[in-house]
Amino acid sequence: MASHYDLLRDLFDLQVKNDIITKESLNICLENYDKNIREQLTEYQILIEQNDDFAFNQPYFVLFEFIHQQFKPLLPEEIEHFGQAIRTLFLKIKEGINDDKNILLERIEALSNQIKKFTNAVVNNTKSLLTESRELKANNKKIDYQEKIHKARYLIENYISPLNTILDVNHSQSIYNELLNVSQFTNVKRFDYADESIRREFEKLYHLLRQVAKDLNLQSVTLTNELLPLIERIKTESQYLRGFHFYLTNGNCYKEIEPPRIFVSTRDNIYNKFVYENTKEYFEQFKHEEEVFVVEDSEQTNDWLFDKSKYKEILNKNLPVDDFFKWCESSIKQENENFSFDNFFMVTSLIFEEDYEISVNKDGKNISISNENSELIMPKLTIKKQEDVSR
Amino acid sequence: MYPDKHKEIVTSLMEGKFITVEDLLFETIKKNEDFYTTFFENSFDFELIGNQDFYYLVSSETNENTSRDISIFFSILCYELDKDGKNFLEELNYSEFHIDEILEYFNNSSWSDVIKANNQLKNDESLKRHLGTMVKRNIAVKQGNDRYSFTKAHKLFIDFAKDLIKEEVTQK
Repeated sequence: MASHYDLLRDLFDLQVKNDIITKESLNICLENYDKNIREQLTEYQILIEQNDDFAFNQPYFVLFEFIHQQFKPLLPEEIEHFGQAIRTLFLKIKEGINDDKNILLERIEALSNQIKKFTNAVVNNTKSLLTESRELKANNKKIDYQEKIHKARYLIENYISPLNTILDVNHSQSIYNELLNVSQFTNVKRFDYADESIRREFEKLYHLLRQVAKDLNLQSVTLTNELLPLIERIKTESQYLRGFHFYLTNGNCYKEIEPPRIFVSTRDNIYNKFVYENTKEYFEQFKHEEEVFVVEDSEQTNDWLFDKSKYKEILNKNLPVDDFFKWCESSIKQENENFSFDNFFMVTSLIFEEDYEISVNKDGKNISISNENSELIMPKLTIKKQEDVSR
Repeated sequence: MYPDKHKEIVTSLMEGKFITVEDLLFETIKKNEDFYTTFFENSFDFELIGNQDFYYLVSSETNENTSRDISIFFSILCYELDKDGKNFLEELNYSEFHIDEILEYFNNSSWSDVIKANNQLKNDESLKRHLGTMVKRNIAVKQGNDRYSFTKAHKLFIDFAKDLIKEEVTQK
């Protein structure tokens, strides 16, 4: 075992994790260590076959648990099982105190064994629960708080609270109290039993019980001083964490939840230490300002405005007009000899009025309109009032 | 006769500062609690709120945005501290944090949607400014070397979050 220890350690971890060592994982493990010892493992009954898979033989498993101080916590029912055995044996001893000497001796011995097993189970359980709770608190696996709370609650409900009950002096049904009863009874019998060998057995049992009481008391202290406060702290923190979680989830913090009221500190403006300096500075900035003169543009521009209604009236009087563009030219010339084409086009826009009917002159000739800068060649258009059009 | 340091007390509270049990002024207010309650009520219509950890003022108005930013800040910081396996209640009470440590918690936080939506927390620069705001209100204290600690005033914001669950339960 010593020469293959690392391999065995890995196999132990596998079984702790999966409760069984599958055939495949055993092969992988053997390959990893490049060791061909599968035969020996079963031959020496370190591993036993379970269908196609393997598991550690119980004594070896317990040995490894002990070596690594790595115990799977026992369920309270499993511990209670020792309690039951202790109760029954104690009852039998009391009832059969005057029975056959041999059976009495064996019962005392069996009782001692059960007490030892019980104490071991409690010590190992406290140890493993403490390890688990500490790991949970340190959150080495970085699990989310909800899972953490779930685990903590699970440990409390299923392991820690029941263990506390088992060790509770004030609980009349606790195994601890039962052990005290055994201790009292034994203390009497070790002196007043007739047979010497039986007295000696009671004596041994009494000393075992004294040691057990000390050990269990220590576990109880660990439980109340360390384990319970640790779990209590996880619980307290969980109340806060639930709050944070609720506040942050779904952007709740940005919705209806009003944060604590706090003071609006802008009020301190009127008490500002520098209010005098600030005001002074504000007014001083205007003190040395230079005068600014705004020089207006004196040049007059001759803006011609198109008086649409006036032109429309003139046009209406002259309808029908043979040559609309020439008419536009002559009309605008009456007002301004040096007209621009911009002005001209404004007048021509009358053509889009709804009241007129426009047609291209039949001779198809273009006409020319010019001012001092340029010349426009345009079609000759006839314009009539719409009512003049024959239907 | 006004109590000692009257002006300092009034100025601090009116600047929106928390006066916490770590502060010498705390004892003075505590001794003259009735006086200050009446003083702020009659002079300004402000309410003085106090407990065994801190005193602060509230008025009919509240700086909701700042308060929300601070509440979110503590919620996320505690959440991340817990994830890191730390006792956040003890850490907030007794530890100092380097600015980089705080920034790292926020940069690696799983609450990135909440952080991104918040102008005061969304990046390193704004977070530093936000810490400045908390220092001004005496919720955080700058210890030098870019290290910060928190005063007892932080409890207002984390207890507020804790009580949300109680309210929720009562409502149900």
